[in-house]
Amino acid sequence: MKRFSILSLLALMSPLSQAELSVTSQLDYEATGYFADSKASANDTRLNQSLAFRTELYKELEGDQSMTFKPFFRLDENDDERTHFDVRELIWHKVADEYELKAGIGKVFWGVTESQHLVDIINQTDAVESLDGEEKLGQPMVQLLLERDWGNLDLFILPYHRERTFVGKEGRLGAGQEYADGMYESSDEEKHVDIAARFYTYIDEFEYAVSVFHGTSREAVLGVDLSQGIQPEQAMVLPYYSLITQLGLEMQYLNEGWAWKFEGVLRDGVPKNTMLTMAGEFPVFYDGASLAVADDDQYFASTAGFEYTQVGILDTRIDLGWVVEHLYDSRQEDASSTAFEHDVLLATRWAANDAASSTLLAGVLVDYEYGDYSLSVEGDTRVLNNMTLSVEARVFAPQEDNPLWGFRNEDFIKLTLSYYL
Amino acid sequence: MIKTILIAALFALGSVTTFAQTSQEKGLAIAVEADKRGEGFGDSQVELKMVLVDSKGTESPRDMRVKSLEGLGEEGDKSLMIFDTPIDQKGVAMLTYTHKEKSDDQWLYLPALKRVKKISSKNKSGPFVGSEFAFEDISSQEVEKYTYNYLRDETFDGKDCFVVERFPTDKYSGYTKQVAWIDKAEYRALKIDFYDRKKSLLKTLENKDYKLYLDKFWRPALSVMQNHQTGKSTRLEYKGYEFKVGLNDKEFTKNSLKRAK
Repeated sequence: MKRFSILSLLALMSPLSQAELSVTSQLDYEATGYFADSKASANDTRLNQSLAFRTELYKELEGDQSMTFKPFFRLDENDDERTHFDVRELIWHKVADEYELKAGIGKVFWGVTESQHLVDIINQTDAVESLDGEEKLGQPMVQLLLERDWGNLDLFILPYHRERTFVGKEGRLGAGQEYADGMYESSDEEKHVDIAARFYTYIDEFEYAVSVFHGTSREAVLGVDLSQGIQPEQAMVLPYYSLITQLGLEMQYLNEGWAWKFEGVLRDGVPKNTMLTMAGEFPVFYDGASLAVADDDQYFASTAGFEYTQVGILDTRIDLGWVVEHLYDSRQEDASSTAFEHDVLLATRWAANDAASSTLLAGVLVDYEYGDYSLSVEGDTRVLNNMTLSVEARVFAPQEDNPLWGFRNEDFIKLTLSYYL
Repeated sequence: MIKTILIAALFALGSVTTFAQTSQEKGLAIAVEADKRGEGFGDSQVELKMVLVDSKGTESPRDMRVKSLEGLGEEGDKSLMIFDTPIDQKGVAMLTYTHKEKSDDQWLYLPALKRVKKISSKNKSGPFVGSEFAFEDISSQEVEKYTYNYLRDETFDGKDCFVVERFPTDKYSGYTKQVAWIDKAEYRALKIDFYDRKKSLLKTLENKDYKLYLDKFWRPALSVMQNHQTGKSTRLEYKGYEFKVGLNDKEFTKNSLKRAK
């Protein structure tokens, strides 16, 4: 059925109108080098290679309509979970005088901050792709956009939940864990119809957005099911997706070279992690059997900070930006292993403003209570007209009692060569 | 206040022969007349090839399309710039709301992240996509963005020109001064010298091969910005100008950036 509908949509995209079909494709070769043998992963290779192919087909149709199709495929040398296919977008879009309507599989971004994207909840994170959580899975949706003098209102119906992807047993950043199929709070499971709305507008240099989401959480509470006498060593990680309500607030104020940013969420219905540390190895788990009852806790999380940009430092063409953000989570030590409870990001962003559009972002994220930190460097440059090179390096320095302890030997440098055709 | 000055200036222009005029008044009058002659284009779109040329002569081309909407009354023009190449930048779009008195509003859309970012107005002196054009050079040139001073008459490229100095009013401008050669017949800027914050000559822009559209609007087919301090230059080649294509406000909103193709 799904295959059929994709084919018929593709047929729709062919020669109906005069407008030509625009096709852009990108092939990535990625090589990741690790500085040490893994302590946790089943795979201790020091070099991991991967290929990814993505393409975008876009066609304008009569009557201010268009179709976009963006398939994505990754082949990973070692990690079967990272080898995956996804329809990032397959969406029909209609622009009318009073509204815009989109239907299909789409992608939406909400947010203003750099260090994490708390408010951004429409799409599921494709966590096997990158650590920054910026790669997303395609989300089935109907979106209605109303643009008025008083602001913009986006309304969403999200009829299907995508499970988060997780690095597999053979992946270096997966700490050797295997994941079971997700468990849902809703009896409709992945077919629970989620709803969301976002209002956004701006007054001069002040931009803000208010959003609400009700439905199945994109973030899973991770546990192990020990209920049937399974030994912890054999147990798989069990992602549990609860029904939540999220209120989100985004604010940004630009003044001189300063960009002041705030993102905050109030989430209701996220179960508390019942901490059960597994022999100091990777994350902390709770007993899956207790899931259904440990519900309905409210918490608040925020990212607040600024970016200060100096244009053309020292009479060069280079722009230098300073990013400082504070990350907070009211659950504190009860927060999920992926949350940042009391952390500070200090980063510097360089834009060379050269013909190759070279940029560099280097930062340190410090957990000032646990005392652990991680360093990251990300750079991009264009090496040929149709080829770019990007570099990502990360160093993890967690403390022993911290959920990120499993990353202590996973420092890496990753080179990605992207060829556009 | 500005209005009174403008009216005074227009009045002055109409009566050049009868009243003695200061060089500031004459400079402003020339700018006002040039602006007036550009009025009424409504909307336009054009394909633009931008070629970055480094000091060794190596060229990096990029293609974009620019849509413009004329501002009415007190509003400045709006423009939408959509990148087609370099191919890794395809779909990147920039929306600019020009304002007469306050700083312009500018947003950049990054399609890979589906993210719209507001650009700080302090950024206006920075290079536009690695070229020799600054953000402020490519935005619409409203009269109110400068104060003026008429210098002299001079022939440039075989045409009788006014030579007018103009001084940016915005404190974030990268320039202390610009000197423009404006031809007397059609009030077109043929050449502009840009002086940096240290008051030394930084760049020269030459607008060439002006063509007339709808019997009223002159647009150059080629603009060349030469940086004298680095030896680099940037060429803008305009192709397929169209006017009054029926663009409206809806196509120049923050939301419309995301569907710009």
